Formats: sequence, structure tokens, C-alpha cells
Amino acid sequence: MATAEPHGADAPVQILSARRMAWLRFRSNPVAVIGALMVLSVLFCVAFAPWITPYPAHSGNVLDFANRHAAPSADHWLGTDKVGRDIFTRVIYGFRISLLLVVGVLGVAVPVGAALGLAAGYFGGRTEFAITGFTNVMLAIPPLVMALAVGNILNPNLINAMIAIALLWWTWHARLVYRVAKSVAAEDFIEAARLAGASHWHILTREILPNCVAVISVKTTLDAAFIILFGATLSFLGLGVRPPTPDLGSMVADGRQFLPEMWWGVLGPALGIFYATLGFNLLGDGLRDMFDVEV
Amino acid sequence: MNAGLIEFLLRRAVGFVSVLLVLSLMIFVLARVVPGDPARMALGPAASQDQVDRMRAQMGLDEPLPVQYVNFLGGAVRGDFGTSLISGRDVTTEVLGLLPATLELVLATLALMLLFGVPLGVLAARYRNRWADTVLRLVSLVGVTMPAFLAAILLQLFAAYFLMDWPILGRLDRSMGMPAGPTGLLTIDGLLLGRPDVTLSALQHLAFPALALSLSGIAQIMRITRSAMIEHQRRDHVQTLRSFGVPGRVVTFRYLLKLSSVAPLTIMGLEFASLIGNAFVVEMVFAWGGFASYGLESILQKDLNAIMAVVMLSGLFFVVANLAIDVLIGLIDPRLRMKGGR
Amino acid sequence: MALLDIRNLNVAFTSYGQRTHVLRDVSLRIEEGQRVALIGETGSGKSVTSKAVLNTLPGNAAVESGAIHWRGQDVLRWPDSAREGLKGVEMSVVMQDPLSSFNPVFTIGRHLEDVLYWADRRNDTRRSRRDRRAHILDVLRKVQLGDGARVMEAYPAQLSGGMRQRVLIALALMNRPALLIADEPGTALDVTTQDEILKLINALVETEGLSLLMITHNLGVVRMMADDVYVMRKGVIMEHAPLAELFRAPRTDYARDLIAAIPPLYGPGVKDQPAAPVSEAPLVQLQGVHKTFAARRLFAPAQLTHAVRGVDLEIQRGEIFGLAGESGSGKTTVARMVMGIMQPSRGRVILDGTPLDQAFDGRADRRLAQIVYQNPGTSLNPKRTVGQTLEVPLRFAGLSRSEIQPRIDALLDRVGMPALFSSRYPHELSGGQKQRVAIARALAANPRLIVLDEPTSALDVSVQAQVIALLEELRSELGLTYLFISHDLSLMRNVCSRIAIMLRGELVEQGTPAEVFADPQHPYTRALIAAIPVITDAEDAAKPRVTDEEKARFLVSSAA
Repeated sequence: MATAEPHGADAPVQILSARRMAWLRFRSNPVAVIGALMVLSVLFCVAFAPWITPYPAHSGNVLDFANRHAAPSADHWLGTDKVGRDIFTRVIYGFRISLLLVVGVLGVAVPVGAALGLAAGYFGGRTEFAITGFTNVMLAIPPLVMALAVGNILNPNLINAMIAIALLWWTWHARLVYRVAKSVAAEDFIEAARLAGASHWHILTREILPNCVAVISVKTTLDAAFIILFGATLSFLGLGVRPPTPDLGSMVADGRQFLPEMWWGVLGPALGIFYATLGFNLLGDGLRDMFDVEV
Repeated sequence: MNAGLIEFLLRRAVGFVSVLLVLSLMIFVLARVVPGDPARMALGPAASQDQVDRMRAQMGLDEPLPVQYVNFLGGAVRGDFGTSLISGRDVTTEVLGLLPATLELVLATLALMLLFGVPLGVLAARYRNRWADTVLRLVSLVGVTMPAFLAAILLQLFAAYFLMDWPILGRLDRSMGMPAGPTGLLTIDGLLLGRPDVTLSALQHLAFPALALSLSGIAQIMRITRSAMIEHQRRDHVQTLRSFGVPGRVVTFRYLLKLSSVAPLTIMGLEFASLIGNAFVVEMVFAWGGFASYGLESILQKDLNAIMAVVMLSGLFFVVANLAIDVLIGLIDPRLRMKGGR
Repeated sequence: MALLDIRNLNVAFTSYGQRTHVLRDVSLRIEEGQRVALIGETGSGKSVTSKAVLNTLPGNAAVESGAIHWRGQDVLRWPDSAREGLKGVEMSVVMQDPLSSFNPVFTIGRHLEDVLYWADRRNDTRRSRRDRRAHILDVLRKVQLGDGARVMEAYPAQLSGGMRQRVLIALALMNRPALLIADEPGTALDVTTQDEILKLINALVETEGLSLLMITHNLGVVRMMADDVYVMRKGVIMEHAPLAELFRAPRTDYARDLIAAIPPLYGPGVKDQPAAPVSEAPLVQLQGVHKTFAARRLFAPAQLTHAVRGVDLEIQRGEIFGLAGESGSGKTTVARMVMGIMQPSRGRVILDGTPLDQAFDGRADRRLAQIVYQNPGTSLNPKRTVGQTLEVPLRFAGLSRSEIQPRIDALLDRVGMPALFSSRYPHELSGGQKQRVAIARALAANPRLIVLDEPTSALDVSVQAQVIALLEELRSELGLTYLFISHDLSLMRNVCSRIAIMLRGELVEQGTPAEVFADPQHPYTRALIAAIPVITDAEDAAKPRVTDEEKARFLVSSAA
């Protein structure tokens, strides 16, 4: 054959590397970049709350009745609450509880869900039947109802709420990872790895898991937003941290009593919830476009 | 209905029964085993040991745990969850009386989700990456970003400020009483009883709670519909029809829509669990007086029998909704009918 | 005046701000009643050309310059609605993948009805529902689907690939177009079905008086289907010649290479592989092997599929044993049983003297047997570099970290790739390069048997020739034995030292390629060989003859 190229005359299918493609996609998506910046700013607030808030002491049990229910002003950007604490300060501190919940729940739910999903997708047979069956059962349980029930029957506090949510949240990750793992496990390269003598552990962690990273990271980012909402809902209903620790949901519940006249009591924490969840959602959407995956 | 479809549905039904069984076990353990003495909890710390013992016998708590579970399960199957530890009334009677209110709210919510979610998703897909799509995607983001309780409060505020006479609490104008109709769904009973004013008022009351409850669902359905449409748009069969001159709108609204309706339906089924959860909050904010508010009350008051009934019924809700959705998907997709399973 | 006259067409795609020029000054002419072929390898731009003509280019593609004249008028200047009017009426396309070309949740009839209904609307034809149905049944009969009513009620998944391909042709014929554009019809189907489809298209072109634009990668198909040929490469028309002239005296090196790369079926160019010495202890023995799959159903008795029935065969050391057959013949199941990935339901598989069921967990000792898969796209993990992929068999064979890297470099060198490819990801490789890596992975375990599962069927012919050359070289240098599975008989004729033909799970014929091709005993073998598109009249004449009655007995008909 009179071919000049010794390594196959057909041209590479894709000129750009996958990483570069992904970065181009991400960068060309302003929404995703904004989302990433919003998430970073929330993380910044969480880390440096005592230094960036105007009244760090107001995160605790401060009573300043002279300033109670003050409307938003230069001194109090988002007004003050029923005992005169600065709402802006409390919202920034409220992110701490929200993120604690996110980390606590996802720290358990993602590894557990991913492990079960991987196992079900790869091993098939009875393992698959048992895990998918159990996952489907758990999906049927309304998480809010369960969290409320667990929390109230035991003891309404943040740890119990976290346990209750984590107990149910892994199902979504298991479902998602299972779907991807199953289709990856059917590929020729998995069989080839088996034939090359690779162990199950190698195949699960080195061959299949890397193919699931994209969906897991997108889902985890979107989940962070959901869990912030979820935690806010729980504490709105009175299940969460104890006063005076600032918490976005219970701040809304407090502020609600003084509606519609003292609207800023609800507005501040509502904006906080909105900002944090919007950031995670935008970032998640951006990652989804970037990895081009279905979640 | 052919054998394949029936087989598919039977498989799902078996799955759903096991859902209810596991759910019952979980709630039983949670309510009867974990908290210590339910009888003591019901009677409070002031009650004498004698009273507590009598209560225990009455609730069947002196039996061994497995027997208690079987009794509970048997009762649940017959629809008997015992008496409320707080009000002392029969739990099932109380719940059944409140069920239509929640059912009406949930059905209205589902209707809104489909009515807005699907067409908006189709619209966004058709004008992908154009301004309509961008606006819709941003709006849908607000939808998923807004917790139901906040949506409820904001909608209430909105109504209070801008729609002075719009009712924001309860299911019906007080002056109308509670007309006893055959279905318990006020909108429908109003029509059946020849009271269009009742239907109108019920619809007015329903609008904001249903909207608050459906916002995130609308956003999700829209997103899923959009991505399913776009995904299928790339397929060869679209090319086939287009290259023979079938107009784009026909391809979109007939061929793609039917194919793309499976994904949002599936999601709707899965999200049903969180819909029920959110109903708890929305009912509370709008003083809806349904099954969900009852559930919230009983959870906050640790009314164990009522909690068990509420959780089991929520599970039943989920299961029935998903069974209905499966039938629908089976009718849409012939491949399920042929293979008899996924 | 030509029916279709494409002049200096330039088309570019834009994605993420990067512009790719895919068609460069493409000119192509089709006269009324003429059959024209456009041939090219993957990525040559042949399908883009047809899409430009049909106005079905994707949104990120733009016609930058040039003209497309239809009956003398430049359609690129027409409004979209006017071009829409040509579709299905003046020009029709036959798609290549018959399954994905139909919407799975609508019946075949629904597709046909809608196409006809909208074509009628555009032509101001008034037809009742009944008349439309009668017309559709009529057209279905033309494509030899006599039981049209049943076909119309069926969902796409309920028809065979051949039947769906026929329906696609019917769709194209619905309104008696002047030009039929056939985009690789039958490529996804078995060779015998493809042969039927091509003959059907030829007959229809004749009887209906159509012009044909045949888009294909197969020169044999070109010879069957065209009078005039355009050869395309990387968006450029390399050569344009009448059919006979192109084969007799190709003007460009590219066309010459293309023709030379095609393995001949008969004649002086055919390569006979030396037969391996028959020994007492063959490397692979299959004794009365059966494989039955059971699909359990709730309301019906389990559906049994007999994938393999009573296969006996022996593969000698150093042999290239070809196992041929169409889809569903059981050839891949046999290979999987040889690999020990699957256990036979009955019978024994003996590998190098050891029955597999006695070997460790039934799996072939990995030093003995390895496999190279058909699809280079799915045989390498997209998330692992070439080096990481090759490391697996070495690491699990117990090599230390310091021994591994030199071995990887050696393996890459062995398959003709520079060591720097070790850090590349699969998507950075071409199809041929991926297949080389897959071969290197198989070699890493130092096997004695390599199962080649259609190793070149996803590659272009020019690349196929290189990969085959590499495989032959490796065999003689390393003393390997190959089990070569394929449906491509002309390739097997030249590559294998012995071949066996499978039909519905049974071995129907076995022998050296020279014997089998010179005098095929089984009618199915004859039918299979007869269906192969070849590039010379001499080969065509040398092909065995099959009667229609034999065809009916051994081939699954795609007609209804």
C-alpha cells in the first residue's frame, strides 16, 4: 500500500481533547461561570463569616430591643429581626448550617449510593435485583415526611435531620450510577479487562467509576441546592438547629409572623436561600452541559 | 392490553407491594420500637402507671413485637390504624375525611405540572438557544430554586397586596359551609350538586396552593421535556420524516412529543414522593385542612398511630400514582408491551 | 440539461467557534435516468453532499459558495419552502440505518401515511384515506412487501432489518421521484439481504425510470449500481470517470489504492494461506457443543433460543481459522465459549488439551486465549490512556512497576505505534490505531490463541489492509493461532488457512478457502458467496450459482 502514514491513514476522529472541549463548553456558558462564582462566594461567606459580617455577635443570643424590626438601611442592609439582630449577618451565618447539612448528607449519600449503584450495575444477577429493588422501595418514601417523622419521634435536632435525609438521599445516586455503570459494564473493554485478569476491585474503581464521575459530580452539585431547600423547609417547620443559631428556614418562619408589614424579616433569609440554591443550580446546569450527560 | 403489558404491570405491582411492606416495617420500627413507651408518650408524664398499663393493653403493646407488627399490618390492610393518641378518635375515619382535600390539591398540582411543564419544554426545545429558550430556562431555575414554603408565602403576600378579595386561606368561602358531595372534591361536587358558585370559589381557593406546590414540578418537567425533545431531535427518524417533507411542526408535536413524553412521566412518578412532602408545608401555609396538615400535626404532637397511618397512606399515594404512570408509559411505548419489562 | 448539477459546492461546519471545511469545490452531475455513484471512506463528505442536495444539513453547517442546479435552476437561491416542495416528490432519499430511521413509538403505517398525506398537501392532490391506504399498499408491493397490511400495523421493532430497509425504499418511492438518493442502503444488513436490497433498487430504477445517486464505501456495490462514478476523499472529488474506465484505468493514486485494497474473491490476485500441519493435539477442540438461551416469561413457556447446535471443530496450532456466518448464526457464541466467557449447555470445549470446565472457574487461562473486538470505539475505556489500558494485563500477570513501562513501549512498537502514544486517550486515536492498541492488549498476556471478532469490519478498506498485514506479521513472528470471526467472505478467502460456515447454530461446511470457494458444497455457502459484491466481471462469473429455490430454503427472506 502506498500510504504515507504508517499508523493508519484514517484521521483522528476528534481533534480537540475531551478536557479542552469541556473547558470550551464551560467557558462559553456564561450561566455556568456565574454559578461557579456564586458557589465560590457562598463558600467564602461560610469560611470567613466572622470577618465579613458587620455584626458577628448577632449570630448568637444578642438582644437589642431598641433596634427591633428596623427596616433595611445603611446600617442594617436587610433590616433587623424581632429582637433587633442584623438579618444580613444572620443570613451569612445561616449559610454555615445549610452547608453543614449539605456536606453531612452528601458525604454519606454520595459514596453509599455510588457504591451500591456500581455493584448493582457491574455484578448483575441477584446483587442487581436486591440493590435495585431496595433502592426502588426507598424512593417511594417521601423524604420530608420521613425526616419529620424521624426527627420528631427521636429528637428534633440537626443531626437527626441529617441522618433522616441521608438515609433516603443515597437512592438517587444509586439509581443514577447504576444506570451508567450498567451500560459501561456491558462494553467490550470491561470484558477485555476481565480477560486480562483484572480483579473486580480494579474494574469497579478504575474502569467503571471514572466513567461515572461526570454524572456523579453534576448530580451532587444539583443535590446541594436541593438539600439547602430541604433543610430550610425542615427548619421552617421547626425541625432544625436550636435558637439562637441562625438558620435560613427558621428565620423565614420567624419573619412570617410579622407579615406583611415587616416584610424584610422574610425577604432576607429568602434571598439567602435563593442565592445559594441558584448558584448550585447554575453550576450544576453548566457542568451538565459541559460533560454532556443526562442526570 | 396484551400479555407483555400485563406481565410488565404485574412485575411493577409486585414491586409496589414490597414498597408498602418495607415502608410498613420501617415506620413500625420507628414508631413502636425506637421511642420507648408509646403508651407513656400518649398519656404524658402525669399519668399513673396503672393508666399506662391499661393503655398498653388497649394498644396491644403487651404482645411480643412480631405479633404487634402482624397486628399492625393486618389492621393496615383492613384500613384500621387504631385510635389517635391525642384526640382519641378513629385514625382512619379522621384521615379519610381529610383525604379529598389533599387529593384535590395534588390532582390540581399534577394538572398544572403537565399543562405548563410539557408545552413550555416543547417550546424551549423548538427555540433552542434562542431568547425564548433562555428566558424559559431562567424562569425554570427560579422554579427549582424556590422552596415550596417560600413560594406559598410569597404567593400569599402577592394575593394579599394585589388581589384584595382573593381568598388565601382554606378551601371554600366560610359562608358556603362544606357542601357534602359524593366525591369530596369541592370543584367537582359543586358541579354535581348544581352549585357553580361552590366550584368557582373552590377553584379560587385552589389556585395559589396548587401553583405553589407545582412550581418546582413545572420547572423539572419543563427541563426534562426539553432535553428529551432535543435528544430525540438528533435521531435519524426525524431526518427520515423531514427529508420526505413532513413539516417540522408535525414532526415536533406528533412524533417527538409522544416519544419524549416518557421521560417526564417517569420523573413525575419519582418526584411524587417529594410532592407529597411539600404538600405538608403548603397545606400548612394555606390552612388547607387536608390529610397533609393532619400528618404534620400528628408528627409534631407525636401521635404515633396517626403518624403510621399518614406514612403508609403517603406510600400508597406514591404507589398508585406510579402504577397509573406505568400504565400510561406502557400504552405510549410499544417496546414495553413487546418485551414485557424493561 | 442535467437533472442535478452541483457546481463548486463548499460547505463548512462550525462548532465551538472552530470552522471545519468539509466540502471543497465539489462538482457532480446526474443526467436524467443515469445511475451515479459517490464513493468515499469515513469522513469523506459523501453524506454531507447528499444532505446539501436534500436541504437537510444540520444547523451548524453552512453552504459557503457554489450552486446546486435542479433541472437548470439553482435551488440554493430558492426559499426553504420551495426546497421543501422537492423533498419526497422530486428527490427522495433511502437512509442507511433501517432501525433508527423510524420513530419507535409509531407504527410503520403511521409514518407512511403522514409522508403521503403531506406530500399530497404540497402537490394539491386530494385523496381519501382509503385511496391513500390503497396507494401505500401498492408501493409496498413494489418493494416486494406483499403483506402490506401487516407491515403497516407493525411497530418498527417488530420487523426485520431487511423489511425495514424495504419500507424505507417504499417511503422514497411514494411519490415517484425523479431522483433517488441511496445513502449506503443495506450496509447495516447481512450480505445476502444487502444483495437483495441492491437488486431491488436496481430493478426499481429500471422499471420506474428513476435516476440514482448511490452513496457507498464499497467498490463492489459501485460496480453493481452505477454507470458513472465520483471518488471522494476529505471533502474533495478526487476522480470522476465512467464505471468501466475507473476500474480499468484509475487516474489517481487514491483510486488505485482503493481498488488494490479490496481483497479479491477469485482470480490470480487471491492469496492462499499455507495450511497448518495437522497434529494429534490441536489447540482448540469443540466436541458436540450446544448452547441454548432461555428467556423466562411469566405467562408463556420459556422461549428457548438454540444459538449453537452440535458444533464439532478443531483449530490447529498456527492456523488462521475462519468462522463465517451472518448475524444470528452463532459464530460469536462459539467464540465466547472458546474464550470461556460462556459455558456450553452441552458438549465440551478443550483448550490445549484441558477441558475448560475443569480449568480455573471455567475461564480460559488468560495466557492461552485473548480477544480483539469488532468495534474499536467500545473496546477501549475512554477514561484510560493507552498506557493504562496496556498496564492491566501486565500488572495482573504479576509484573513489577519497573518492568511494566518498558514492556508497554515494546508492545506499542510491536503493533507499529510510537511509545509516545502511551499517554494518549482513545478519542485521540483513529479507528485503526485503536484496533492496534486492542491487539497490543491481547498480546500483553502472551497468549497462544487470539480470537479476532470481526476485527476490521468497522474500518475503512485501506486501514483494514494495514491491520490485516499487522496480524499476519504477528502470527508468523510470535507463532500465534487465530480464530477469525467475520461475515466478510472475500476477506476470509485471503486471510484464513481454513474456514467454516455457520448457519442457524450449525456448521454446514468446512475446508480450506481454496476448496470452499472453488466448489462450495452447501447451497447456503453458495448463496453467501454469490451475494458478495465484487469488482470485476471475471470474479462475478466465477461465483457459484444458486437457484431461487435454494435461496428460499436457506436465507431468511426480507420480503413479506
